[in-house]
Amino acid sequence: MNWLTTRRSFALMVAPALIVYSLYMIYPILYSLYYSFTRFDGVSAGGFAGLDNYRQMAHDDAFWTSMRNTGVVLGIALFLLVPLGFLLAILLSGRVKGSGALRALVFAPAIIAPILVGLIWIFILDPKIGLVNAFLLAIGVPAQPQWIGGPTLSPYSIGLVYLWQQIGFVLTIFYAGLRMLPRDVMEASSLDGAGRWQQLRYIQIPMMRETFGIVTALVVTGVFKVFELVYALTGGGPVHLSEVMVSYMYHITFTTQQYGYGMALAVVVFVVGALASAATFLGNRRKGEVR
Amino acid sequence: MSTHVDVRPKTTPPSADKDVPHSPRRRGRGRIIVSAAAYLITFVILFPLLWIMLLSFQTNDNILNHPFSLSQLTLDNYRQALDTLNLLVMYKNTLILAVVSVTIGLVISYLAAFALTRMVFRGGRRRTQNTLRFYFLAGLAVPVYILLFPVYRLDISFGLFGTYLALILPYIAVTIPFNILLLTGFLRDFPEEIEQAAVMDGVGLWRMAWKVVFPLMRPVVATLAILNVIYVWNEFPFAVTLINDPNMTTVSLGVSQFQGVYSVNYGAMMASATLVLLPQLAIYAAFQKQVIAGMTAGAVR
Repeated sequence: MNWLTTRRSFALMVAPALIVYSLYMIYPILYSLYYSFTRFDGVSAGGFAGLDNYRQMAHDDAFWTSMRNTGVVLGIALFLLVPLGFLLAILLSGRVKGSGALRALVFAPAIIAPILVGLIWIFILDPKIGLVNAFLLAIGVPAQPQWIGGPTLSPYSIGLVYLWQQIGFVLTIFYAGLRMLPRDVMEASSLDGAGRWQQLRYIQIPMMRETFGIVTALVVTGVFKVFELVYALTGGGPVHLSEVMVSYMYHITFTTQQYGYGMALAVVVFVVGALASAATFLGNRRKGEVR
Repeated sequence: MSTHVDVRPKTTPPSADKDVPHSPRRRGRGRIIVSAAAYLITFVILFPLLWIMLLSFQTNDNILNHPFSLSQLTLDNYRQALDTLNLLVMYKNTLILAVVSVTIGLVISYLAAFALTRMVFRGGRRRTQNTLRFYFLAGLAVPVYILLFPVYRLDISFGLFGTYLALILPYIAVTIPFNILLLTGFLRDFPEEIEQAAVMDGVGLWRMAWKVVFPLMRPVVATLAILNVIYVWNEFPFAVTLINDPNMTTVSLGVSQFQGVYSVNYGAMMASATLVLLPQLAIYAAFQKQVIAGMTAGAVR
């Protein structure tokens, strides 16, 4: 088929995607990297700053708070979202009448615009107008915790809203994994007298290792994309206490217009996110080798 | 001897039944508990959505003081929402962005994926193709947030700021890596015989790409189209950065402004949220299988 392929037609076919992708994806990364070493403020070039912007982070409490809050969301995702998603996949995996419809319903939050998810949850979590505190009042509990907007609980609330948003998605991936398990193994173990718990512990969880790896990797990358929830629920406040890494970077770049420092934060978000994904990937591979 | 053993169970007292692990009665009760739990959990997960729909029919006084009361439901909130919001403009803008960027994005991704997998050069070495494919796939690791400010500057320097293209170009760029991942994955597994037959018939390269191979890729392209449309439809970070003209507002950007527009008029805010939410849920209900397949493509094989 050599006559089919000339270098010119190859170039023509690849060029459109290559140009748009290089200009709007690769060039911006190099741009961010370059300006993270400057004091660029949008007007004057500001001059070369070396590693100053990166050093500034070390003394920036709000930056460390944003790291910690991202860690809180990551913790909730790994230790609540993943196991709950798995259990829900088992619960909704077919023995219940209408389980297909239930799975589709649980997936629904994942298709709603994240910014709308944030707005919806204001009316659940807000200390004054939210459902949770109205409910607490109605059943006679006097405490009115500041789920959002207070100094402490916001990152946990953001993590839980993220859980709500993603659980149907996680469930679906686990469900697909469960369906790929060979049916005869389950039947044989059942005949041998294995109980439901034993099947779960000794057959399903070990055989789903790869699926757990995929879900963990997706969840880890997903956590570093949480932005709209913070934007809508707390705006990062009060005084940056509920900021996550991405929302803090956005604030520094577009609200305070410290572009150099903002780009340095963007680079750190990129690197930390990539490292977390790489760690997950290596963890998956090592687990695979033990098996 | 065996006959004795066979008889024994019948003589055991009925109370021992409870210890048998899988007696029919116990299994039936277990199934009811499991079903009840499944329905209950699903209801709890959906409750926030039902709650804002309920609030959208409440007066502001009720929302603040008696949110659980159903005595004074009203349509006033919807009247106010429709008066205040320019829903049509929001939907028009979002639709234009979604249709244009997803169509162009898929066409150019397909062309590139075709060239990267199906073209054969003299000597049979594929180094350029593999390197380019890797270059495209590297974009999968890039979070969009690092792109926001540079893209904003790019749009200004190209004179695109304030036009649809200001958003269409980054939307295309961001969707290219995954499009190419999935398309090259499918194109690679695809038998060469079909092309060889077409070559015998004297079909040229572009006809080959569009008339022979593309029709076979329809399921993948449909999956990607759904995934990309949902991405553009819900996209917020680029929209909030690159749009400052109210006439260009997208659905997501409009939603982010509800709190500013309505302040403490919570009822109208919830009516607006419902007006955005319901169409999305209706479309999801209609294409539920395809949407789930699209959004989990890549994770689920």
